[in-house]
Amino acid sequence: MAKTHMLRRWRRAAIVGLAAAAVVLSGCSIQISSQPDPSIGDDTMLINADKGNPFFTRNFNPYLTNTRTASRWIYEPLILVNPLDGTQNPWLASEWSQPDARTIVMTIRDDVEWSDGEKLTPDDVAFTFQLLKDNPSLDIKGAWQHLETVETDGNDVIMHLQTDDAPSLPILGQTMIVPEHLWADVKDPGTYRNENPVGTGPFVLGNYNDQQYSVDKNPDYWQADKIEIEHIILPSTNSQLDTVTRGYDWAYSFISDVEGTWGAASEHNAWWFPPGGVIALMPNLEVAPFDDVNVRRGIALSLDREEIAETASEGYMQPAGQTGLVLPNQEEYLDPSIPDGGMITQDTDAALDAFAEAGYTLDGDRLVGPDGKQLEFALTTANGFSDWTRAAQTVQSQLAKVGVKVTLKLPQPAGYQSAISNGDFEMAIGGMGNGDVYQAYNNLLSSEFYVPSGEATANNFERYRSDEADALLKEYRETVDTARQAEIVQELQGIVYDEMPVIGLYYGGIWGLFNDSKFTGWPTEDDPYMIPQNYDSAPLGIFTRLERVKEDDR
Amino acid sequence: MKYVLQKVGLFVLTLWAAVTLNFFLPRLMPGSPADAAIAKLSQNGPVSDATRAAIEAQLGVPTGSIWDQYVAYLGQVARLDFGVSYTFYPQTVSSMVSTALPYTIGLVGIVTILAFVIGTLIGTAAAWRRGTWLDSLPTLTGSFLSTFPYFWTALLLLFFFGYVLHWFPTTGAYSATTTPGFTWDFFIDLVQHAILPAVTILLTSLGGWIIGMRNAMINTLGDDYVTFAEANGLHGRTIALRYAARNAILPNLTGFGLTLGGVVGGSILVEQVFGYPGIGYLLFNAVIGQDYPLMQALFLMITVSVLVANFLVDILYGVLDPRTRR
Repeated sequence: MAKTHMLRRWRRAAIVGLAAAAVVLSGCSIQISSQPDPSIGDDTMLINADKGNPFFTRNFNPYLTNTRTASRWIYEPLILVNPLDGTQNPWLASEWSQPDARTIVMTIRDDVEWSDGEKLTPDDVAFTFQLLKDNPSLDIKGAWQHLETVETDGNDVIMHLQTDDAPSLPILGQTMIVPEHLWADVKDPGTYRNENPVGTGPFVLGNYNDQQYSVDKNPDYWQADKIEIEHIILPSTNSQLDTVTRGYDWAYSFISDVEGTWGAASEHNAWWFPPGGVIALMPNLEVAPFDDVNVRRGIALSLDREEIAETASEGYMQPAGQTGLVLPNQEEYLDPSIPDGGMITQDTDAALDAFAEAGYTLDGDRLVGPDGKQLEFALTTANGFSDWTRAAQTVQSQLAKVGVKVTLKLPQPAGYQSAISNGDFEMAIGGMGNGDVYQAYNNLLSSEFYVPSGEATANNFERYRSDEADALLKEYRETVDTARQAEIVQELQGIVYDEMPVIGLYYGGIWGLFNDSKFTGWPTEDDPYMIPQNYDSAPLGIFTRLERVKEDDR
Repeated sequence: MKYVLQKVGLFVLTLWAAVTLNFFLPRLMPGSPADAAIAKLSQNGPVSDATRAAIEAQLGVPTGSIWDQYVAYLGQVARLDFGVSYTFYPQTVSSMVSTALPYTIGLVGIVTILAFVIGTLIGTAAAWRRGTWLDSLPTLTGSFLSTFPYFWTALLLLFFFGYVLHWFPTTGAYSATTTPGFTWDFFIDLVQHAILPAVTILLTSLGGWIIGMRNAMINTLGDDYVTFAEANGLHGRTIALRYAARNAILPNLTGFGLTLGGVVGGSILVEQVFGYPGIGYLLFNAVIGQDYPLMQALFLMITVSVLVANFLVDILYGVLDPRTRR
């Protein structure tokens, strides 16, 4: 008896001691420094770009959703699009034209070889499009939602579109091209793992094992003189601590206190976090009272976006305006007649006026409708998207101050996705906008995507319908006149600004982390030539710009 | 014989219940696998309807009534065909499992056996020398260490020995630069990567074995036959091992059987913390990605191995202790 008592006392003392030690430890911060692997040479990049979860599978079919990241640097698109602002760079197509809104002509380079020595031909391009038509599961960019037929003529590939469809150019241009002489024999391309990829890109597959693989410079690459990287190593498991300590040359990750972690780990560590989209409140427009624009305006005017942006993104991101544009990336499209660049600032009096328009008045600290009930709704966001969750909590507390009661719903990501697709929400947090202004407005406003709540849609989750927006979007598709297209974009901004189908909160970030001790020439705010993400095709644009730091410069 | 048949019947019934639960549970989660994939993509920007269509075509949305799916599923289970993984599409579930299983069995399996052997030996010694430092030290530290959540121990070890002192690698099962194969270099590397997770599991599970063995042993030491053996002037070690420990080990053996059955499930959090490519980490990712085929195969493997272990322990007990057969 005495013994167990003593044991218990011992145990309690030990636990208290340990807890104290833990508190002390967390108080005095232990500086963790970067420890690069000395066996990695100066001509080799270590990239945190591919997650194995928990090990790699050998899949280099560039059309599958969980292909190895590097497969998109082994295969190349016709046009390399910068998702930041929609800039189109000639790639496997040296030039293109749109003789009318139903036809696109791409001229294919004639100096490009596959890494097995065969020549890239326009027939490869035509074959690729046919492959995507025959295997809809591979058509991830949706080329055949636009295409009618594809034919070749000399070095040209002529694409005939289903309708007047001028803005389909970047979608078709982003299709990655595969070699006919190898892929023609593939029995089931939909499940083909393409273990030994042969592409036109700057890299070929090097060593592969299920913990790490590498790609090596393709010596016969058509821009070989622009590629100064000899090897790239991609490990399978990357925790946030690894990102900081392992000596990566390039990583893509949201990091808390980037200056004190990534920045402190090495003097060569730099970062650039440009805005990549708009994070917005998406009201379900079929749910009362969100069908009333005055309620939406009241909510928009009640919010302090500075605080939301600060809280959600730790101050990395700016508040977003109400135009649907991502600024400053898309500044050239901005309608100058919209005040403050579309920014709506908090104005409680104006908010209460707008709510009053809709029949809601303050009763003590509650905003009540004509029936005497408080204005309240559920705000849905995805569990684990921590910045969205913090934004939702801030919206909740800010709206409480004008008497609106918000409850939060946090389903798992799949549940969240299913809820917004099916209209099973009152208000949700969602992303909108991207580099291609037409795609952004079309996804947001087009009634093509409209289905009533209860049925699934892929876009326009808020279920907006307007003849005016539809007419503008249609006109945009039918014109190849870029001046008119620019006017239409300004008119669409006006709709988003006035009608508030969604309420912009802050910009979603692109989290580019670089180390310039071995390679320089990374994209920056001053030279935003490419989005700083290390997945998809974007790195092709960056690899061709990076230069090795010469030994004597160091 | 009747005893064995009863146990077999119970085994089959439990297995069927497990298989059935295994089928329905993942389907109660909201959203489809395609939704999970799209939600992941949409964090990086809006996902076009074309991409959604392609993803749904790749992953295949379950078709047919739930009953048809269930019947098809039972057929698959009988053939041990678990289809294609969603999150690792187009890899088959069986290839994923066979890649991960050796790591888990190698790490968790070996460490579980080690912990059992070491813990039981220490427990025996502690009971034999009860009241001395040989008793209090292992008993106290053991019970102390086993009170920590094991992922916390894992994080502490990882932080100090991996990131601060750089003694051990922080992630993975082997260095990316070594080529897997039957070479000495690879083996050393494998062991280096396994040390921190192994120590974590050892530290947190040792206490249970020590205390279980110690307490059971103290009970047997008070029994008449031990006193009788002592009176006969038998050597102390003989009494401790052949008389007392042999009887005291029974409850620990039961626990060992069950723990061994659970090895297949791995130590999810330990594997997660150390990025160890075993079954536990695979299961974690399968659940996050709503990868039904992979989840079902893994849950089933875990259930079956626990059931089999349970069954064997039952049978063994029936043999060792005639009282249980009644």
